[in-house]
Amino acid sequence: MTDNTQVQRMSLDAALDVLARRRGEQVVVGTMTANGVWREKSPHDLNLACIGFMGGASTLALGVALSQPERDVWVIDGDGSLMMQLGSLGTIAGAAPRNLLHIVIHNGVYETSGSQPLPAQQQVDFARMAEGAGYAQTASFGDAEEFDAAIDELLAADGPTLVQLYTRPADRFYSARPTPPGTTPALARMWPPVAEALK
Amino acid sequence: MTAQSIPAELLLSAIREAGVQDVVLVPDTHQRTVLDLLMDDDEIRTVHCSTEDEAIAVSAGLIIGGRRPMMQIQHAGLYASVNNLRGVGLDGQFPIVMLIGLLGRDPELTPEEDGSSMVRLCRPLLETLDIPSHLLDGPDDLHHIAEAFDEAAERHGPVALLVGTTTS
Repeated sequence: MTDNTQVQRMSLDAALDVLARRRGEQVVVGTMTANGVWREKSPHDLNLACIGFMGGASTLALGVALSQPERDVWVIDGDGSLMMQLGSLGTIAGAAPRNLLHIVIHNGVYETSGSQPLPAQQQVDFARMAEGAGYAQTASFGDAEEFDAAIDELLAADGPTLVQLYTRPADRFYSARPTPPGTTPALARMWPPVAEALK
Repeated sequence: MTAQSIPAELLLSAIREAGVQDVVLVPDTHQRTVLDLLMDDDEIRTVHCSTEDEAIAVSAGLIIGGRRPMMQIQHAGLYASVNNLRGVGLDGQFPIVMLIGLLGRDPELTPEEDGSSMVRLCRPLLETLDIPSHLLDGPDDLHHIAEAFDEAAERHGPVALLVGTTTS
């Protein structure tokens, strides 16, 4: 059994910097805290976000990956998010998109609601779960330099690939703001330009 | 009223004529004969999901990528997936067409008269979510499938098609 209390953990910034340096024309689906950080590091017309349907990032990315087999699709998922729709590991493994990279930010807490612990916080291991589900590749990193050294080889091989990144909880909290009446929701604003760019 | 069983071949033809490229599904006992045909179909791809939540998000992703998917689920899955239906379908304004089987419905009664809450509450739930629904109570209702795609595109949101009794 994995002991998450003993693993090395990198900062979220360092983890996402490794990915941002490889950003090309991939569609990238972000969610929760990492999404905001990612959009600052890698602003792009092909960024999508899972907002308001926690757990749906990986399967939204799966749909894009299946529809665009020649384009790489990355999803930057959260551990709490993935826990909410854990069956998606089987769904993704079954569909077997070779172009999907599934990053899981493993900080062990529900960060946006105040860092309450994840169920099975001390031992849950998403890389082993993904391996059991049938992903083509899985890996875990707690050190940004090691992740940086290994990611190109992982990206070069066929997916679906799940990379679990052990990170320290960020020192920030999300605050929901009221939505003024008549506001077009973020997802509805976000996806049509991406769809247009993919034509 | 009496709901008539729709032959699987006719239902599949209507799906094909609507231009569906992907059927994103969680198996529905009610539509098992259609599922059998879909498994062997070379033109329409099936994407098998663990939950209906996932089916909604996968469908949205396929739409972003330029495909024309249709969801195929059971009524219980509709209840299970309400947050994704709201967050993806409604807030995301995705034109998702859902084929939903009313498993266990008494074909002699309207769904609203049915003794099963899963059957009886289906249309009221959809109405609450402001999602239009059309009952497929026999082969004569199959025109709703292609029309549902037009309606979903016009409304920028989901449309439900309720399969009234077990397909044959």
